[in-house]
Amino acid sequence: MFTTGTKFLVGATVVSIIVTIVYGVTQDGVMGTVGLISASVALAMVTGVNLFTRDANIFVDDEAAVATCPASRPAPGPSPWPLLFAIGAFAMVLGLVTVEPMFIIGIVVMFAGGAEWTAQAWAERASSSTAHNSEVRSRIANPIEYPIGGAAIIGVIAYSFSRIMLWLSKINVVIVFSVVGACILAAAFFFAYRPNVKRSVMVGTMSVAGVALVAGGVVTGLDGERDIHVLETAQGEAAAGLCEDPEKTEADSKAAQTVAAQASVAAEITLNDDGKLTKRLNGPAESSALTLPRSNPSNVLFRNESSEKRRLSVDLGETEIGADSIDTERIQVCTALVEEGGVQNITLNIGPPSNSVEGGYFFFVPGVESAVLELIVP
Amino acid sequence: MNNRTSMSVPKGASTVRSVSRRLRIAAAVGLGALVAGCAQDAPQNTFDPAGPNAQRIQNLQVPVFIIAGIVGVITLSVIAFVVWRYRDRGQAIPEQTHGKPALEIGLTILPALILIGVAIPTVSTVFALAETDDTECVINVTGQQWWWEVDYPVQDGCGGISAPIVTSGQMVLPVDTPVLVRGTSRDVIHSWWIPRLNGKRDMVPGRVQTNRMQADEPGIYAGQCTEFCGLSHANMRMEVIALEADDFEVWKANQLSDYESPTNELALAGESTFIAQCSRCHQVNGLTDGDGDPIVSRPDLNVYSGAAPNLSYLMTRTTFAGAMFDLLTPECRADVWEAPPDEFGERYLEGVTPECLNRVQLREWLRNSPAEKPMYTDPNELAATNGLPRGMPYLALSEGQIDELVAYLLERK
Ligand code: HEC
Ligand SMILES: [Cu+2]
Repeated sequence: MFTTGTKFLVGATVVSIIVTIVYGVTQDGVMGTVGLISASVALAMVTGVNLFTRDANIFVDDEAAVATCPASRPAPGPSPWPLLFAIGAFAMVLGLVTVEPMFIIGIVVMFAGGAEWTAQAWAERASSSTAHNSEVRSRIANPIEYPIGGAAIIGVIAYSFSRIMLWLSKINVVIVFSVVGACILAAAFFFAYRPNVKRSVMVGTMSVAGVALVAGGVVTGLDGERDIHVLETAQGEAAAGLCEDPEKTEADSKAAQTVAAQASVAAEITLNDDGKLTKRLNGPAESSALTLPRSNPSNVLFRNESSEKRRLSVDLGETEIGADSIDTERIQVCTALVEEGGVQNITLNIGPPSNSVEGGYFFFVPGVESAVLELIVP
Repeated sequence: MNNRTSMSVPKGASTVRSVSRRLRIAAAVGLGALVAGCAQDAPQNTFDPAGPNAQRIQNLQVPVFIIAGIVGVITLSVIAFVVWRYRDRGQAIPEQTHGKPALEIGLTILPALILIGVAIPTVSTVFALAETDDTECVINVTGQQWWWEVDYPVQDGCGGISAPIVTSGQMVLPVDTPVLVRGTSRDVIHSWWIPRLNGKRDMVPGRVQTNRMQADEPGIYAGQCTEFCGLSHANMRMEVIALEADDFEVWKANQLSDYESPTNELALAGESTFIAQCSRCHQVNGLTDGDGDPIVSRPDLNVYSGAAPNLSYLMTRTTFAGAMFDLLTPECRADVWEAPPDEFGERYLEGVTPECLNRVQLREWLRNSPAEKPMYTDPNELAATNGLPRGMPYLALSEGQIDELVAYLLERK
């Protein structure tokens, strides 16, 4: 008899009349009462129209139409999307007063929930058959849901993994993930060889693993990464006078790790047995001096063929220091100490050309007088 | 259901018309592509080799092209024949069979043989072009946004070079001499390609890459950066200038000649303007300050890439700003570019004379370089590069200063 819309409007009219009366009695002020009376009259009129048209619905005696009218359609099932939408809105508002990521997450969740809600609401009106409606919904939503959902799941897994790995110490990472990897392999074998194992067992296992992973990710993520140790390099120590020091220092111990593996060498300089420096380049290199491009990193490999540990140093002239430019300081860079027969890389990035300093630039080997090679920077 | 039936109603005339229209468009596109292949004046033509390295590539690419063409024509003809011959005429579906080992194995082995036949010369060419030991002269190129620096290391090769030579945009080399280009980059990846002399070589920051260059005849061989490198990638050009051995000696001697002070008042004023405005980025060898100390440019502190063209002998080149603009007027340019090989060296070595200087373009450049060539120089948008421009910034020079600078630069040769 009463359709949904009619019920709503009758209710609203009644409420507005009551509110008008209460307001009129308790508050003085003509304008407010007049406004509320107008609202009640307007609502009453709308209710009248609605009653007359029966909520734009069909007449009860029109049997054919009754079967297909919206009111006789199955009621929409429970839907998670309004909830998700509300959570998103809440997170967004919360984000406004707390942290930016929360705000962004809120917006994303709100949009996702809103989009799903829209798709579902639209599909529920497609026909009177629930099965057909849900199929329609899948057809429109799945092509978007599956890739995005898949990416989100992979993202969560990868991110959790990375948090755990960065939290564990270097050696424990290897142990833990060897074990975990082996477990995954074993479980996979088990399920593959027992295809009729209960579905619930499989789902249960996966869920436990998933929850453990995410929980681990959250906990380790909040706790932060392990301390990542930065190695001392010869370049970093150059300022401390390392370049004129023939003795072994801390920077010499893990020197091999300072070689930039991605880079290629511009030239190779060898300290020979006779105490002379020779150079080798890609292609012809007939000249006594080495030319390297200006203001660009060039890698020079130092090979020690002498019978002692040696380092290759580069002298880049003097620079004036202090406000009044009275003092000068020698600028030098160098490799770490190189074992007999070993090699070391040094990266040179030189701004001013070699002819801009007195005496030019040159390579030398501390402790070997004769080992000098001119360096030209155009 | 309703829309289904309604969809099949409009058919017929309009479909026929759209098919013939599509055919016409396809024909026009095809013809356009065909005609585009017939350019008369194509200085960057890889099918027109001008040296032994490019010739090797030509000897490889022509037969490969022919083989690929034959295979393509056969394959497409078979497809066309099958499509037409077995089109749907309402006949019954023929009996379905699966597998025909002889045919399948045959059609696997045949392409494999063809590919092996192509691979052998390809691989041997790749190795031959990577050879460096037989070269007699080394020239370094360094790419940066958006121009090439060329420098000649001190060496016994190239007829002997006693002090480094630095230039930009144009690489001058002796004819008939195997030259080794050693290249790298100061910022992003660029690619060096002179199509008439050799294949391309990516120039990668942190790496030294090699490329052989050798020209049979004197002349200008044009190229351009072929690895997308940002805003002005399309304006990053370069030229290889091949000179006879004695002309090359003249060029070299000139590049190492002493600084010549300006000879007239305007140019002298230009020198001080240059010192004040330009020499923090641009090196002019031999330029000294009031105390007689050499003025050393510091592009490493003033430009993001760490480099700006060396202007000591600007007027010995014929193009500037990444070979994008001519330093010569159009008539004078034609004189050099179209000179017969035996006269080319003489004309190139004349450099830019006062009559031939493309004043309009050079002045435009000095007036507002970023307006001439897109570069990142807006001081408000340089946060990503610590305030350093990529390219030459707008310097707000007065017309008077520009007059002086042009007079000064005109004598840099
Ligand atoms: C902040 C550094 C900087 C300053 C200052 C500067 N330039 Fe430049 N200039 C450049 C850079 C970088 C280029 C290369 C631009 C390109 O080709 O993309 C260049 C290119 C040029 C070129 C073309 C050179 C060639 O061989 O391609 C000329 C000529 C030139 N500048 C003249 C001047 C003059 C004259 C002044 C002084 C009024 C000046 N520049 C000031 C950075 C600077
Ligand atoms: Cu480039």
